[in-house]
This record gives sequence, structure tokens and C-alpha cells, in this order.
Amino acid sequence: MALAGTAAHAPEHVVHDKAKMKLVGLWLFFFSESVLFGLLLSARFYLERINREEVDQLLGLGITCVLLLSSVTAFTAETAIEHDRRKLAGWMLVVTILLGTGFACGVGFEWGTAHFSKEQAFGSIFFTMTGIHAAHVISGIGLLVLTWFQLARGRFSGKDHWPVSGTVMYWHFVDVVWVFFYPALYLVK
Amino acid sequence: MTDAFRNALRIGGLVAVVLAFVTVVEYVFAVNVDSDQVRFVGLALAAIAKSWLIVYFFMHVYRVWRAEAH
Repeated sequence: MALAGTAAHAPEHVVHDKAKMKLVGLWLFFFSESVLFGLLLSARFYLERINREEVDQLLGLGITCVLLLSSVTAFTAETAIEHDRRKLAGWMLVVTILLGTGFACGVGFEWGTAHFSKEQAFGSIFFTMTGIHAAHVISGIGLLVLTWFQLARGRFSGKDHWPVSGTVMYWHFVDVVWVFFYPALYLVK
Repeated sequence: MTDAFRNALRIGGLVAVVLAFVTVVEYVFAVNVDSDQVRFVGLALAAIAKSWLIVYFFMHVYRVWRAEAH
């Protein structure tokens, strides 16, 4: 109670500093994640001279468009809650969850129908990269669902929406990773 | 609907159109270009452009170093 009272009466600059610290912390987390994904990309290009196995190009393009579209709906959700449009934010979060689920299902379909195995060099790096990325997509969907539940219970407003912003930023980061993974796995020969 | 909200949505829509356009161009380019080096450079440029659009307009990276108004 004493702590809650202290926070409620904290000077405005302290509140600003805390918000800034959360933001910087999230970006540091993205940086550390970038190292992991960068290493996977470098492994892919270290194996550049191997023959790329046949992948489903239309499926790759399709799931890429779905993930990019989900970033747009996530952006709309964040913008809506910043302007106190809770209903629109809720719907956009639902659409983002559905699109993310569609992307994960597409990756699962690609895994199920792939004509190469994990014992081959390309198969090994393909399943590792798409698997780790899909794990991030699934955790992002989990965060979006939690955020939606909190929003539905009246938790957020135009002045207090950090959890929505943080979750949406994480979703965008997962999208940025795929922006590099898609050409590396599907388009570069 | 306030002007600020409308402007934010307009920017988001514009970025979405550019992302879709670059993605389609990237695919057509990769399928039709024979040179491995040219294809690699083109795809790398497209990926950097797309990621910058997302990081700047959707993730608001500029907010990290923007001075807070106390």
C-alpha cells in the first residue's frame, strides 16, 4: 500500500523516466534477439554453396503477405488504444491473432509437405530457422491473447497502454525477422 | 475521429501499400533474375528497406532517443 501510494504521487519526470526505461529495455531485448537471428542467417549463408531444395514459393509468398498484414492490424490496434478507441483496438488484436495463427499453420503445412529432410544441410538450416521463428510467432500470439483479455476487462486506456505497445512492438520485431528470413530461405539460390 | 488518429491510420495504410508493393517486386525480381550476385544484392536492399519501414513507422524507434517533455 505504501509503495502504491508512493507511485501514485511520484513526480511526473519519474513516471516519464520509468516509461523510457521500459522502452529502452525492450529495445535491448530486441538487440539480443537480433544476435540469435543474425547467427542463424549467417549459418544459412555459410551454407550458400549447397543446393537449395525446392520450397513452395507460392506458400512462402502467401505466409509473408499474411504476416505483413498482421503487422498493419497490430499497428492499427496500438494506434486505436493510444486514441482511446478500445473497441477498434480489441477487434484489431483479434484479427492480428487470427493472421498470426494463419502464418503458423502455413509454416506447419510447409513442414508437413517439405520434400527434404532435416538430415540434409538445407533441411537442417530451414527447419531450424523456421522453427525458432515460429516459436517466436506462437509466443507472440500468446502475448496478444493475454493483452486482448486484459483489454476486454477494461485494463487499458489512452494514457495507460504500455502492455499493448510492448506486445505490438514484439509482434513487429517477429515480422522484421521474417523480412530477412523469407528471401534467405525462399528466394536466394 | 480526430485528425491525429486519422493521420496515424493514413500513414499505416500508406506503409502497408509500400510493403505489399516491395514484397511483390522482390518476388518477381528473384524469380526472373539469373545472376546470383544481382539477385542477392536486390533482395538484401528490399529486405533492408522493408525492415526500416516497419522499425520506423510501426515500432516508432525514434521514441527511444526523443527527449521527454517534463
